[in-house]
Amino acid sequence: MAIDASAVGRVYPPQPYEVSREKVREFAEAIGDMNPVYVDVEAARQHSHDEVVAPPTFVMIPVMRGFDILMEDLGIEFARVVHVDQRFTYSRPLIVGDRLETTTTLDAIRQVAGNDLLTIRNDVRAAESEHVCTAQATLLIRPEENGDV
Amino acid sequence: MSDLAVGQVVADQEYLITRENLVRYAGASGDFNPIHWNDRVAKSVGLPGVLAHGMLTMALAGRLLTDWVGDPAAVVEYSVRFSRPVVVPDDDHGVAVHVAATVTDVRPDGLVAVELAVKVDEQKVLTQARALARPPQR
Repeated sequence: MAIDASAVGRVYPPQPYEVSREKVREFAEAIGDMNPVYVDVEAARQHSHDEVVAPPTFVMIPVMRGFDILMEDLGIEFARVVHVDQRFTYSRPLIVGDRLETTTTLDAIRQVAGNDLLTIRNDVRAAESEHVCTAQATLLIRPEENGDV
Repeated sequence: MSDLAVGQVVADQEYLITRENLVRYAGASGDFNPIHWNDRVAKSVGLPGVLAHGMLTMALAGRLLTDWVGDPAAVVEYSVRFSRPVVVPDDDHGVAVHVAATVTDVRPDGLVAVELAVKVDEQKVLTQARALARPPQR
């Protein structure tokens, strides 16, 4: 079954996420990134940041929460999803202590060779609606009965 | 003013991805899709084996960027297309991902556009991998 085309334009309730020191450290270590700005406040201050900052792709953690509610709404199981592309546009890096809200919008649906291609925008904002990052993704959703694998 | 020129390779590095890296990335990112850690599941959905998270490959290419610019805040835009899966063998060595960044534009506003070549065995695993950044001050 193709995904309901009337879902285009749907905007999901903002999802909260708090950026914590230990999660930033864990993420930096997981990608093997030893840059001290991810763990050491003094190093971050040398770049004029008040606190430790997160690696650029860390923002995918709050963005994934937006994906989760969209997929639940559209009845899409995780196993059918292929990540096609990803774009991040930053106003500033994520910083420890940020209380973020991610708003997810389904911008478009296209059908290609029996698959649905979803264009999804996630706007990540901090306190007082300050823009932090916009994440745009294309997800390919394989059909439910997948007999050819 | 920047002394960078279009066509200049500003950074070039090889990264290894092992199964251990996938487990760590799964935990850190919260992406527990079993195709990134379970051979049985990966094969059952027609994949050649356990794959690296696309976002991990994107993060490694992002490391090259932030190592070059120094301050992660200098990265203004970063985008990729996941064009080819990265199979991670169940051995001690893992798979080598080679990343190189080449300047494609030096803008009047001081921002520099770079194209990232991200390859495994000379084949691109990310395409349209591009970033816009404030270059490091020399």
